[in-house]
Amino acid sequence: MIFKPSWRSLLLSTTTVLAVGLSAPGAKADIPDESYQPVLAHLLGTVMPPKLDEFHTATEELSEEFRDFCSDPDNGGLEDTQAAYHAAMDIWQEIQPWRMGPLVANGRDQHIEYWPDKHGTAARQFRKLMFDKPAAYTDPEQLAGASAALQGFPALEEVLFADDHGDQMIAADEDGVFLCQYGTAIATNLGTLSGELQAEWPEFATAMENAGPDSMDYPSAKFAATDLYRALHEGLLIISTQKLARPLGENAEDARASRGESPLAGRSLRNIEHNLIGLFAIYDGTWGDVGEEGKGLAALIDNSLLDRSFKLNWQTVSDTVADLPPSVAEVLDQSDGYATLSDLKGQIEFLTMLVENDVGGNTQLGGGFNALDGD
Amino acid sequence: MEYQRRNFLKLMGVGGAFTLLPLGLARAATTPNPEDRAVYISASAGEHDDYYVSAFNASGKILFEQALPGRGHDIGLRPNHVDVAAVERRPGLYGLILDRHTGEVRAKLHCPQDRRFYGHAIYSNDGRYLYITENDFDHARGVVSVWDAEDGYRRVAEFDSFGTGPHELHLMPDGEHLVIANGGLHTHPDQDGRTPLNISSMEPNLSIIERRTGKLVHQAALKHDWHKLSIRHLDVAANGMIAAGFQYQGDLTDQVPLVGIWQPGSEIRPIEAPDNVQYRMRQYCGSVRFDASGQVFGISCPRGGLVTFWDAQTNDFLTHIAAPDGCGLAATNQSGEFVGTSGLGNGWRMDAIRRKRVELPDDSHKSLHWDNHLRRIQA
Repeated sequence: MIFKPSWRSLLLSTTTVLAVGLSAPGAKADIPDESYQPVLAHLLGTVMPPKLDEFHTATEELSEEFRDFCSDPDNGGLEDTQAAYHAAMDIWQEIQPWRMGPLVANGRDQHIEYWPDKHGTAARQFRKLMFDKPAAYTDPEQLAGASAALQGFPALEEVLFADDHGDQMIAADEDGVFLCQYGTAIATNLGTLSGELQAEWPEFATAMENAGPDSMDYPSAKFAATDLYRALHEGLLIISTQKLARPLGENAEDARASRGESPLAGRSLRNIEHNLIGLFAIYDGTWGDVGEEGKGLAALIDNSLLDRSFKLNWQTVSDTVADLPPSVAEVLDQSDGYATLSDLKGQIEFLTMLVENDVGGNTQLGGGFNALDGD
Repeated sequence: MEYQRRNFLKLMGVGGAFTLLPLGLARAATTPNPEDRAVYISASAGEHDDYYVSAFNASGKILFEQALPGRGHDIGLRPNHVDVAAVERRPGLYGLILDRHTGEVRAKLHCPQDRRFYGHAIYSNDGRYLYITENDFDHARGVVSVWDAEDGYRRVAEFDSFGTGPHELHLMPDGEHLVIANGGLHTHPDQDGRTPLNISSMEPNLSIIERRTGKLVHQAALKHDWHKLSIRHLDVAANGMIAAGFQYQGDLTDQVPLVGIWQPGSEIRPIEAPDNVQYRMRQYCGSVRFDASGQVFGISCPRGGLVTFWDAQTNDFLTHIAAPDGCGLAATNQSGEFVGTSGLGNGWRMDAIRRKRVELPDDSHKSLHWDNHLRRIQA
């Protein structure tokens, strides 16, 4: 009988090495507050700003593609606009888990992407919108004041990928013309939102980097760094409890790809792949060609074996996602699709446990007495 | 005559220097600040699963530590008496009556076999009766037990809390009614006594009962969409307004209110902080406290590491102050001022009006993890 290694044995084996290789730790000395400051400066001041620039550029290009397409609609233009949507969504999905500061101010993350939409608000409002075709929704400034469900990426996904909307826009019939104008307004509004994010980030990053006893927001660098740890932890939790658990449902019969994120664009799993890139940057300090290895939360971990093990485990999970098709629907269509997705959920949960135990414990950012076990 | 003057100055504690002080300071010196004599009392923990009721003064200096058999939660203060009640947090089995000056154990309360204490207790204004929230776990029903302090703390009655998972309770300003936060969560000691067993069907509420008969007088719940908001902690202003803090049992990204205002007889009014603060509250409120004037209330959010302050007259968000792992909150005698404690050992004086946070100067209180709630005793 040939032993076929599963993700569980691969992931556990590295943890076992760690458990065997490490002696039981004694009481650890507190990490000095000044050790957290370089991590904040690197992640918030060096790594994130170019990514926000990238996001802003991607949304600007998206709105330009939309305008070009709508000026003379054809199949090639539609495909180019869809490709621009994917490019902007890729970088958004990397930024999305960094839920802090300007990202969550004024409901900005919800305006960029209103999801999950538990009550089907967007679909209901979209139907009404197509019936009434109000001119206000073709004006980016007025759209910015509209329901979050009718702004941002999910609304754009509806315009670009749902039903026969593409054909309608190419045909330039009454619905198609409205969809084109509405889609252009959404893309333009996304450019405005990403521009605000880009503009507001430096002040937030400076406040975090200058954390100290006089600050009523961030009284220590350690406290500020806790927001980064939480983003890493909660980002993984959101992948397992929402992005995977929602389409998986209660059992195989209950599974629905439509409950996933970005189902019409067929990229629910591609989103997770990009989430993992942005989340890993928090730990490692590198994000594509930006940043420097070992300057994220890893800089606080004085244990190279644990660091190597964590990275190896993360790589295993990233490879698993990269090997899957981009859409949940495609995976569920496979005979073992439900098991494959359930397995991925298990891997993400395992990573979450490593973050709680290894990263949270060794960086001393895992939470206090009341935060972890209050009543 | 000279003898009288010397004695007067001695009583003032300022000796001959008194006559050299400017008039304003001299007047201040003759009127000791009541806060200087205040005592703060809270459940606490050491580093090795050791638990206490601990008291410190206005400077943060530890006055006593009384070991507990398990983790405490809140402290009930008996009016005009030395007794304070420390009831074990859920699923609690013990309650201790302690001397507020020394921590000495004066009486012990034992939870019936088919009940569990839920960490909160409150006395009647005359100090005779102690009321404790409990779980009747076999029937998924909350109860309020009544103990007669003048009869050796005998358990004399039990009322329905009119909900599941009752948590904090308070006396209403008339002294005749109790308001109870029924958190809605069913737990059972066979399943560790803390894991929620009914999140999908939980129905939290606020209930007001007559303290002598247990009769339900008012009850209010949030709309069904928000049924996963466990209503856990509350405080009552002198005008009868109730402020409540919620703990959300749903998804991290759900946008839900975490604070509610209730005027009995009307609906619970949910209120929210600006997005960037609301997000940092991390779906979880720890304790609720009105200030001395009743015009401001504070709500601690230990998971987010901040304390939020709210205008009790307009119900608007006022400000927030970062407080890492901060949870315990007690009002000082000054408007808008609170003392807060942290699970990391810190103690702060916080001014919600001027948005200021100052560490208590004596470091002795930093040796402990301060638990969920803090009470102030005016000596």
